[in-house]
Amino acid sequence: MIAFDNAGKTYTSVLTRKRVDALAGFTIEMHRGEVIGIAGPNGAGKSTLISLLMGFLAPTVGSVRIDGASPRPWVEANGVGYLTELINLPPRWKVPHALERMANLAGVPARSRRARVDELMSQLGLVEHASKQVRHLSKGNLQRLGLAQALAGNADVIVLDEPTHGLDPLWTQRFRDVVADLRRPDRVIVIASHNLDELERLADRVAILNKGRLQRVVEHGTMSASPVSLAWRVVFEGDVPLDGALPTALRVDGRAGAWVVEASRTEMSGALAALLSTGAVLVECVPAESGLANAFRAAVQE
Amino acid sequence: MSADRSPFRYLPWLARDVAKGPGALFLLVIAVVCGVLWRVSKGDQTVFPMTPDFIQAGILDSATIFAVLIAVGGIVSGDVHNGYYRAYFSKPIPVWWYYLQRWILGGIAVMLIPVVLGLGLSLVLGGGHGITTALLANIAVSFLLVGGAVLLLSVFTRRDWLIVFVVGSVQQAFASFVQMGVPVNPAVKTVWKALPPFHLLKPGGPMLEGRPLLHVVGYGLALTMIALVLLRVRPLGSGGRA
Repeated sequence: MIAFDNAGKTYTSVLTRKRVDALAGFTIEMHRGEVIGIAGPNGAGKSTLISLLMGFLAPTVGSVRIDGASPRPWVEANGVGYLTELINLPPRWKVPHALERMANLAGVPARSRRARVDELMSQLGLVEHASKQVRHLSKGNLQRLGLAQALAGNADVIVLDEPTHGLDPLWTQRFRDVVADLRRPDRVIVIASHNLDELERLADRVAILNKGRLQRVVEHGTMSASPVSLAWRVVFEGDVPLDGALPTALRVDGRAGAWVVEASRTEMSGALAALLSTGAVLVECVPAESGLANAFRAAVQE
Repeated sequence: MSADRSPFRYLPWLARDVAKGPGALFLLVIAVVCGVLWRVSKGDQTVFPMTPDFIQAGILDSATIFAVLIAVGGIVSGDVHNGYYRAYFSKPIPVWWYYLQRWILGGIAVMLIPVVLGLGLSLVLGGGHGITTALLANIAVSFLLVGGAVLLLSVFTRRDWLIVFVVGSVQQAFASFVQMGVPVNPAVKTVWKALPPFHLLKPGGPMLEGRPLLHVVGYGLALTMIALVLLRVRPLGSGGRA
């Protein structure tokens, strides 16, 4: 549905003619039914990529297509559910009024618009802020308003740029539920985020960007599994000498009972089996860092 | 739920914005002007001939350009600068169409000034409203030229209104020099003639006719059309987050 083909964007300073490649040689296809994550450090090119997808910028080289069309005409004909990193709406608009306007622009018919606004306000916890102007909303509430306006229409493409920016842990979790409900066989959801844990939970694939280039695409099945050694966090009841059971591990830190270990899954399983057979009680054994985080770190260091 | 894709669906909201923004300001200024004239008319009426025709022409001759700048200044650039365009134009509406509607509403607000002022004048002074065909026609062509220039510049810069104001003022001054017979470098004169003919606009004067009218209308239409084409083909953003 969405195809970036060797897309690049170069900014040239008017005064110094200095050129900066914000995005270079980016190629990926995003299909209906998928949730695609875009990860990368600050300045990696995530926002430029989204601006290209929305048609707010034109690529300097290569192409971007949505259903075979240029992004701007496609967006103008169909609309996109778009949450910007920091939503900007006129500050004096009241919350329901802002949502009603955005629903109107999104094409929600007049007869069902009020009901849709009420539904969104309820879904995103904005009812208690109904009397507030946009300028009086906290960052988290503004983000929820941004998400609500993005969901006002019934778009086939949803683009969420740093969607949990400013949200508290409760609303971060609720946001994940909202996005999970948005999945549809005919819809593409693109999420750009610094939050790898969020992408790991929500995305089918994650494109990792660094310095304007696509470093790698991590598939869902490989995000939490890695063929190489992983860091594990292991906690036992009482003092259990894990270091003695892992003589070949790359790293064993910590103290009796709570350890951080870098070892392969085979080594880890063997050591745990040996300790459990001696009566040790395991409290938890979890990867200290996810496969996606590993891939991200490796990609950014490359 | 079938989507409402009517091209006019957002028009009522835009009309409300214009009414609450420039429209309210125009009303306030008209109310103040009428109030002052009412006070003056209670005093010595021989100070100046206070007919509504004279007052309308006098006020609108100098105020029309300011009214147009207020009505459409920053029309595109304001939304781009504030980042509102990202929410608006993720929705299914063409950029050029959105701003054309907003621009026309600004024009309607400007065109209503002589009507409301005329009604106010007839209320406080009596003796007619001063609304003439020439006045309305001149204000309409003034809006087309000045508003078209602002719309075009607004695609590129936030200083749209300021540039039009400065260029318009320089041209008026230059036209006065030419009229007084001050010798002018031919190259400078060529540049002056190539610029939008703001100096031909006299909203309170006789109705524009013939070549000056064609010049103003042609120039205004061209500027407006170029602006709309640019809004159709030129991306609004200038950077990743811009």
